Amino acid sequence: MDGLINGLYGIPLLGILVQFVGYIVHIVPDISPLLLQAATPLALGALCGVICERSGVVNIGIEGTMLASAFVAWIVGVTVAPLLPADPSPIFGITPTLLIALVAALLTALLISLVHAWLSITVRADQIISGTIINIAAFGVTGYLFQLIEKGSPTSAGAFTAFTPPSQLVQIPLVGWIFNMFLNQGPIAMSVIVIVIVMQVLLFRSRWGLRTRAVGEHPRAAETVGIDVVRLRYRNVLAGGLLAGLAGAFLTMEASNSFQTAMTQGRGFIALAAMIIGRWTPLGALGAALLFSSSQAIAQSITFAPPGGDLGTILTAIPAQGYDMLPYLVTIIVVAGLIGRSIPPAADGQPYEREAAT
Amino acid sequence: MRIRSTGAALFAGVALIVSACSSGATTAPSVAAPTTASVAPSTAPSTAPSVAATPAPSSALKIGVVTDIGSLNDKNFNEYTYKGAVAGATDIGAATPGSVVPKSSTEYAQDIKSFTDQHYDVIVTVGFNLTHDTIGAAKANPNTWFIGVDQAPCVDPTGADDTKFACKGDAKTLLPKYISITYQEDQAGYLAGMVAASVSKSGTIAAIGGTSLCAPCIRYIQGFALGAQSINSSISVKTAYVTGDFSTKAFGDPVYGKQYATSFIAQNKPDVIFQVAGATGNGILDAACSAKIYGIGVDVDQFLSYPNADTCIVTSAEKHLTNSVEATIKTIGAATAVGGPQLFNASNDGIGISDFHDKTSLISADLTTKLATALAAMKAGSLVTCPATGCGVYSK
Repeated sequence: MDGLINGLYGIPLLGILVQFVGYIVHIVPDISPLLLQAATPLALGALCGVICERSGVVNIGIEGTMLASAFVAWIVGVTVAPLLPADPSPIFGITPTLLIALVAALLTALLISLVHAWLSITVRADQIISGTIINIAAFGVTGYLFQLIEKGSPTSAGAFTAFTPPSQLVQIPLVGWIFNMFLNQGPIAMSVIVIVIVMQVLLFRSRWGLRTRAVGEHPRAAETVGIDVVRLRYRNVLAGGLLAGLAGAFLTMEASNSFQTAMTQGRGFIALAAMIIGRWTPLGALGAALLFSSSQAIAQSITFAPPGGDLGTILTAIPAQGYDMLPYLVTIIVVAGLIGRSIPPAADGQPYEREAAT
Repeated sequence: MRIRSTGAALFAGVALIVSACSSGATTAPSVAAPTTASVAPSTAPSTAPSVAATPAPSSALKIGVVTDIGSLNDKNFNEYTYKGAVAGATDIGAATPGSVVPKSSTEYAQDIKSFTDQHYDVIVTVGFNLTHDTIGAAKANPNTWFIGVDQAPCVDPTGADDTKFACKGDAKTLLPKYISITYQEDQAGYLAGMVAASVSKSGTIAAIGGTSLCAPCIRYIQGFALGAQSINSSISVKTAYVTGDFSTKAFGDPVYGKQYATSFIAQNKPDVIFQVAGATGNGILDAACSAKIYGIGVDVDQFLSYPNADTCIVTSAEKHLTNSVEATIKTIGAATAVGGPQLFNASNDGIGISDFHDKTSLISADLTTKLATALAAMKAGSLVTCPATGCGVYSK
């Protein structure tokens, strides 16, 4: 803290800023693939939130859906691994086991989303409560089963491996790191950018997107022009669930290779924050997820490769918790409306009751 | 309007998860002696005549083990401590120890109590996490022996756990039957550092600790650096700590550990990395394997406890849990035991490094000799494995 105060008194802020930018430019090429990796579960979770909330269903249960899918991906992988050939394919290290585990994760997520959809659309229960139940149940059930099955020493069914982009591409000055960031990835992280772009186009340029937004803004009006609100909401919640499931599979099949109790570590909640900061748009959500992951990555770099000079003194004087707090701080600032306004769909979270036929 | 409710729900969700986390199920623990462990107390005929002449020892001591969360065959702290208790019981002719595996950290206290209620004479508690509840139980049951494995109690003048770490009380006199087993991690780290420096081709090696608040982690790493320098005086040892607090990131988040280590490796470019970060460290080993560099495990033989990373684990800096628990139980059986901290190091076979398994070909004859010499010097007490000032103290 002393260092920080002295630093603030003694140094021109502009110089510090220039140094800081220089430091970022220096470290980013080394850590660029990591930025997308850390952002992947956040971005996928946020996309789940975007699809659900754009059609008017709040989904707080992303964390739980992710956790359950992560668990199922792992347990199915470990179970079927001895029965299947294990030669990984040269691309992404894909094995039949991993594909089966991935499908199992997605089905799990689909099932959980179906419960959420049924509770919040058909039964018209409080959507927040429904999501919270999913979180608590997923936490308890996976934790219990994990202890029952796992017996302490982590077993693994392997994991997807990263694609190695050609070095000529990565070494292009100035832009090589961008290729490295998006191509030096496993299949799930690599698919994120595609999913985001497709979703962005669909949401704002397709009939489905228009209907989804209409249902989220004014379901009654949508219904009067012949849109089946209930059906569309069901479809969107299920589609969102698939994305949360993919995020879960990423945790146990790509980011690591085994399960750990409560391994989502709040990523499902940070995903919701990313959705809000991204203003309920797919591209915004990815941007917010990258903002969070890069603040984390830069904080990490400061701990083991701090910049020299006054900047280093200042940055290392900030305790690690200060950096950990950044995503939440940004969320609070955005939610409070201090930087722009982040306005959710008007009918977000409101159960829709079909008008009685007269 | 809606923003607020989503934000509030987000917050409520986090709060609920946290509370769900801390209020685990409270089912009654079942004290059961596993049937797999050998029960017969030295009834088998001995081949050594001198031993055969003396009668088989027998002891009425009832020994119970409260492990940490997980299982009894975790190839880690729980398993090796329990094995030590079984071996110790066999040595003194006591019945096979009972064991309880708590299902959550909220059950530690009641699981210890289930043994004290049944008037067990020796209760072994496994690992740092049980320190608080072991202190409480030792204070409440002054006539019961407690063996706390890898615990360094810090008590206030009344003998209660001092959560503010002022440590004004003397645990040894206040809790005279609480034996807290500690290890000289720097010696194990030193040996691991020698291996790392000798295996390294680039001349840059690294060590990552879980949190800068963990003194044993720091000692491991300080020893590691000195050991590495003893092989190659110009070696560069990069060190880092995943976090500066006791959050889950420190020891319980392998996904974060892998990301952290991947970033660390990309920037510091070591070719051997030593993990001192529990389950977070398993992620560090994964990162090492992905980056095709070598990894060194910690506390137990991680080639066995974490087979996921077998392709890159060279060795592990080990605490000889089984030996130390066995030896401590023997002192209780022989009525020579004294309470208070009990340090295990090279001189009483309390530390070492693991087998090299399939990496034996990397180990030169020269290194084998040097390792043996260093171990002998540690036993003799003539080898410095930790900085004279600031051993176990974090400095930037």
